[in-house]
Amino acid sequence: MEVRIWRGKAEGAFSSYHVPVRDNQTILDVVTEIQREQEPALAYRFACRVGVCGSCAMTVNGKPRWTCRTHVTRVAHEGVLTIEPLRNLPRIKDLVCDMGDFFQKWQKAGGKHSGSLTRADKPALVDITNPARVTANAAIECINCAICYSACDVVAWDKDYLGPAALNRAWTLVNDERHSEREETFDKSFGEGGCGSCHSQGNCTRHCPVEISPSESIAGLKRAAFSGLPKMDGN
Amino acid sequence: MQIERHETDILVLGTGGAGLFAALHAKQTNPDVKITIAAKGLLGKSGCTRMVQGGYNVALADGDSVERHFMDTIVGGKWLPRQDLAWNLCVKAVERVQELENELGCFFDRNTDGSLHQKAFAGQSFDRTVHKGDLTGIEIINRLMEQVWALEFDALEEHRAIELIPAKDGSGISGVLLVDVRTGGYRFVKAKAVLLGTGAGPTMYLYHTPSGDKSCDGLAMALRYGLKLRDMEMVQFHPTGLLGGPNTRMTGTVLEEGLRGAGGHLLNGDGERFMQNYHPNGERATRDIVSRAIYSEMRDGRTTSMGGVYIKMGHLGPEMVAKKFPGMVKRCADCGFDLAGGLVEVVPTAHYMMGGVEFEMDCSTASPGLYAAGEDCGGVHGANRLGGNGVANSTVYGGIAGETMARFVAKEGVLRDPDESIIDQGIARAERPFGQKSGNLNALRENLWQDMWNEVGIMRTADSLAKGQQALSQHRQELVKTGLADGDRAFNLTWHDWLNMDSLLEISSVITTASQLREDSRGAHFREDFPDTGDLDTTKYTQIHLKGDTLETDMVPVEFTIVKPGESLIDDEAGAPPK
Repeated sequence: MEVRIWRGKAEGAFSSYHVPVRDNQTILDVVTEIQREQEPALAYRFACRVGVCGSCAMTVNGKPRWTCRTHVTRVAHEGVLTIEPLRNLPRIKDLVCDMGDFFQKWQKAGGKHSGSLTRADKPALVDITNPARVTANAAIECINCAICYSACDVVAWDKDYLGPAALNRAWTLVNDERHSEREETFDKSFGEGGCGSCHSQGNCTRHCPVEISPSESIAGLKRAAFSGLPKMDGN
Repeated sequence: MQIERHETDILVLGTGGAGLFAALHAKQTNPDVKITIAAKGLLGKSGCTRMVQGGYNVALADGDSVERHFMDTIVGGKWLPRQDLAWNLCVKAVERVQELENELGCFFDRNTDGSLHQKAFAGQSFDRTVHKGDLTGIEIINRLMEQVWALEFDALEEHRAIELIPAKDGSGISGVLLVDVRTGGYRFVKAKAVLLGTGAGPTMYLYHTPSGDKSCDGLAMALRYGLKLRDMEMVQFHPTGLLGGPNTRMTGTVLEEGLRGAGGHLLNGDGERFMQNYHPNGERATRDIVSRAIYSEMRDGRTTSMGGVYIKMGHLGPEMVAKKFPGMVKRCADCGFDLAGGLVEVVPTAHYMMGGVEFEMDCSTASPGLYAAGEDCGGVHGANRLGGNGVANSTVYGGIAGETMARFVAKEGVLRDPDESIIDQGIARAERPFGQKSGNLNALRENLWQDMWNEVGIMRTADSLAKGQQALSQHRQELVKTGLADGDRAFNLTWHDWLNMDSLLEISSVITTASQLREDSRGAHFREDFPDTGDLDTTKYTQIHLKGDTLETDMVPVEFTIVKPGESLIDDEAGAPPK
């Protein structure tokens, strides 16, 4: 198959390579084969190989994906693959981009737990049927791969927008009865570049590899602006 | 050669559970301490704590006790662990899990009464494994990295450490020489205290589970620095790694133990179950036994088309399997395999190194200012690591290291002038490929993988180990003749592949030498020519250090400081670790 890969930094061009099609072959395997056999200086990032670290996210035939978990047959239409770095992040080299902004915005959205109990205390009893816990649970398994951030058109035109992943995390904290700064996190999620900027286009939800819906989380934050923070007593 | 120089109080190498907890606790102990965190990949995204599927062992529930957890760890480790380290692990795991839940906000699974759910895990006398579904590590590292990102520190992401640099006057560590992966330039970070938390990782085997960035760099640096490594023959093989053929990075990645625990079957290439021929517990036998059984089937030629065996879950009901193991089932589905209803090819895969740097309870090493935690360390697990004790080890000792380093820096920390000749040597070492004709690094890596797998793998003999040792020395000669084109060094992964090979070859020799030293079989180490476990009362551990170009070896008696073989801290039979 023909593989077109972005070479360069902000400025650059596509180079074409040919790689044999194999039964068990992910996009990461294709990139690896090109680096090992054809283009030793090709830059890409990966770590875990199993979809838990999100380091290997790239744009594949126009869509952001985890390359370690994308089988070639699912995306290589008409025998051509086009692989680029993630959108909306500064480029370092070839397929590697700088994720610094993404994590700074995570912090800016209040993305950090603060507990009233300490390491000396027994864990609190948590009712997992409590609607707030159910809501938080549905959104907590984000691995911060920045696929949603790359898919989001609002991020593309508004550099200050905190983005879906950061606001999704804020929503889990607002729903976490153990979090002692729920009000503060909620306020931050409405700060500059916060959830007010979301246009509910849903690209985040459509592309999330772990099937979280950041759109729904952001909608939850917006609703809470009218109806108040989620109640913790289950009513 | 131009070197950028930088100074800090504490330099943390690695951002798995050990490195991140060290940074967090150092700041909590002394908010004024200046911290620099270096990671080979992105902060919090490289390393293996994140990859933990099973969970975290901790004696929290009524009826369980630290004593039970400790006895399970010692018996599981075949009396080889350093007992005070294992005891400390079990005690501090309680505090650390409570910290993860209460202070960091981890979402762990719950019982219906709201308490933490603790699941059964192999080799333990009590259901004590705290977890988040079948992807516990993500939750732990995500919550931990949020806390760390909020601290004030200098981040050196995508910085690869290549040499630990001693002080000119020999008084301790001066700092660490690194390559900035993004620019390809060199950087020397001088620090009052350094944490080695790079996480070992047995990626020199044909089939291996760790994160692809791991290549034993920390152990190789520690060896060259002169530290003693113990228990290096103890490489744990996980029985069920995904097998996808030679050209995919999916091969070797773990399919979790719980699949067998839940009633999954292993079938050989003839489609027949075989585990009953090896052990009465069948597929539910411990990791080492199942790995050896699969390896025996493979050696006898009863394999699948790609050379492994099958795991079959479908008889339990594909829907139940998908519900109980969503992470595994989805990962397989993404990659084209039907785990819930079909047959998936699997193979034993090198998973974890129980051995490593000798260290103390406070994470100090033999060199003042140099600390170590996590998989780079030896002595906690002995001959076998219980599933669920790995993440406990990295997070417990990482936190302790942070506290110790912060106190050390405040009390007696000084910036030591480096031995510049070691910096020069470190650079010369990394520069070697650039002077040479291009060679076939890929073939060399394949050969290393095959030789370690065949000769120093799941079953070993004196002959195979000698063959392995010989092959390794040839590979080392080959590597120094294998060159690279010197062009753009920024993010030059092929250069890093070369450096990975250098570290892996160095540590492969240590594993092989330790395996030759241990003439008995216990835990992860199996000698076909010495199949019995030696006398437990006179248990010794292997200890290796580098002197000049030679590996010096010793067998050191284990001190039974808490409990002796044949004794137990548990009175009632119910509390005895499973056999």
